[in-house]
Amino acid sequence: MIARHLRTLAAVAALLTLTACVSIKAVPAGPYASGGHQVTLGKTWADFSPFSGAPKTVKLLTIDGPLLNRLYIIDGLKSGEFIVKPARKEQPTPTWRPGMTPVEQVEFVTDSVSALGYQRVETDELRPIKMGASDGLRVNIAAKTAGGLDIAGVAQLTEVGDRLYVILYLAPAEHYFGATQGEVEAVMNSARVAG
Amino acid sequence: MSRRPALRAAVSVILAASFATTALTPAFAQRAVGARPDIATDEGGLWAQSDKAETEARSKAELNTDPALTAYVRGVSCKVAAEYCGEVRVYVMDRPYFNAQMAPNGYMEVWSGLLLRVRSESELAFVLGHETSHFAHGHSLAAWRDMKARANVGMFLMVAAGGGALGNLLYLGAVSGMFAFSREQEEDADQLGFGLATKAGYDPAAPATLWRALKAETASSDFEKVRKQDTRASIFATHPVTSDRIAALDKLAAGLPPAPAAEAERVRYRAAIRPHLAAWLADDLRRRDYGQTLHLIDRLAADGEDLGVLEFYKGEAYRRRRLDGDQDKALAAYVAASARPDAPVALWRELGDMQMKASAPDKARAAYETYLAKAVDAQDRWIVEASLKKINGTSGT
Repeated sequence: MIARHLRTLAAVAALLTLTACVSIKAVPAGPYASGGHQVTLGKTWADFSPFSGAPKTVKLLTIDGPLLNRLYIIDGLKSGEFIVKPARKEQPTPTWRPGMTPVEQVEFVTDSVSALGYQRVETDELRPIKMGASDGLRVNIAAKTAGGLDIAGVAQLTEVGDRLYVILYLAPAEHYFGATQGEVEAVMNSARVAG
Repeated sequence: MSRRPALRAAVSVILAASFATTALTPAFAQRAVGARPDIATDEGGLWAQSDKAETEARSKAELNTDPALTAYVRGVSCKVAAEYCGEVRVYVMDRPYFNAQMAPNGYMEVWSGLLLRVRSESELAFVLGHETSHFAHGHSLAAWRDMKARANVGMFLMVAAGGGALGNLLYLGAVSGMFAFSREQEEDADQLGFGLATKAGYDPAAPATLWRALKAETASSDFEKVRKQDTRASIFATHPVTSDRIAALDKLAAGLPPAPAAEAERVRYRAAIRPHLAAWLADDLRRRDYGQTLHLIDRLAADGEDLGVLEFYKGEAYRRRRLDGDQDKALAAYVAASARPDAPVALWRELGDMQMKASAPDKARAAYETYLAKAVDAQDRWIVEASLKKINGTSGT
């Protein structure tokens, strides 16, 4: 147990050292890619990924800061991969499996939103979309922060070649979601898989 | 001086300091009803912090706002809290873990994971009595004073040791001392809570029954580390091992007559939580410890009630777990649920999907059609309609 705590302290120290070397970079309007998942941004975003603690496949962009708007652009997840890294083995996070039904795909995303710390995650207006030649889904999300703030969101999911490509947007329902909804919808409409 | 003797010496000093600080804390007398500490005292400061936390809790997303459930739990709390009824304020929080906690000012949280695992009003009464005892006997204040004393001793030793790994060990030893004291408080609260619950007419066998069920659920975990929690011995073993608590509660209950209305209060309890059963089971599945969830469902099903909901969530646990053979087990559970009038509407969609995976399109069609008939406004109707179209196209009907 003591060794574990010492390891944690060492990890925190290492993280502090590393974070001193990275910074938040501006991502200009135009083409942007998270691995093979390509989109076109209509305005300048900031890449918050180095501070998100998320896997490398998950890019986190924001305009006003991650508490006010967060746009996750996720490269194609392979079997067993996740959006949210588990903190401990005993607290696993949702993992993607090829062959999930559309409802299971939505469940995977909403459970991942819960794993990010949001409460009372619900979906609405599940609808079909096309991403290039591939069929996909888009769904609205409603949730709350632990403190009780209403969050609105939208997620887009497309399975291409046994990989799941996800775009997830979350922002406070009051002002912030509406202020960027048009931009996010255009980003989602622009999504393609490289190749 | 080599490092090993230095460590041994340090640990000896810490243990001595730990016992010394424990001895410093006086046994707290039962608090006077309605007494509020002076804000200028350390206890007054703790109460002020608790007041703030309570205000924040009222706007938390996890707060369960069902007035009927809250009134029920508060009613049971009042029965066991007796003269402290007006001072203990219970809030139900939708969190899928077995927990209840009492703040120094009488603000108590009861988590949904606890309500889901409690099988009767008697078991709930014991837990509420346990928490009320923490309040009535000022355990928080005692823990706070001990923590300060241990922190001071630990700080002194760390300075003397010159920091580094030895300093960390000393710090961790001091921290473990705090938890050792709370173990005594937990045992104390078990005894006092038992007294409050039985005095209010609740079943004396219920407390040990509850801990036995928790012990068995822990043993059913998917994770080895969790399974070992019950018997794990370390300097951070914060609570008495469950076997000790069970033995102590069995001893208290020995010779006492069972409560005359045990079955009636069990039925009353289930009726109170029934509106939340499905949502709490869905929350529990998000913990992704399916062994524990399945054990819990079996315990809830033993009473022969709510079987449509319980069989459905059993199927959900197997569907999500995805181990070899789980698909068949999920299908069997869904089929069992489909015979029950209280099965959730989503059952029929899941049953259809599972029948498709089992290459039984006719059965899948029947399930999908039932879903569409029942879920008139469902957002996923178009998906089920597409599945039906596919079945009808491929089967030629």
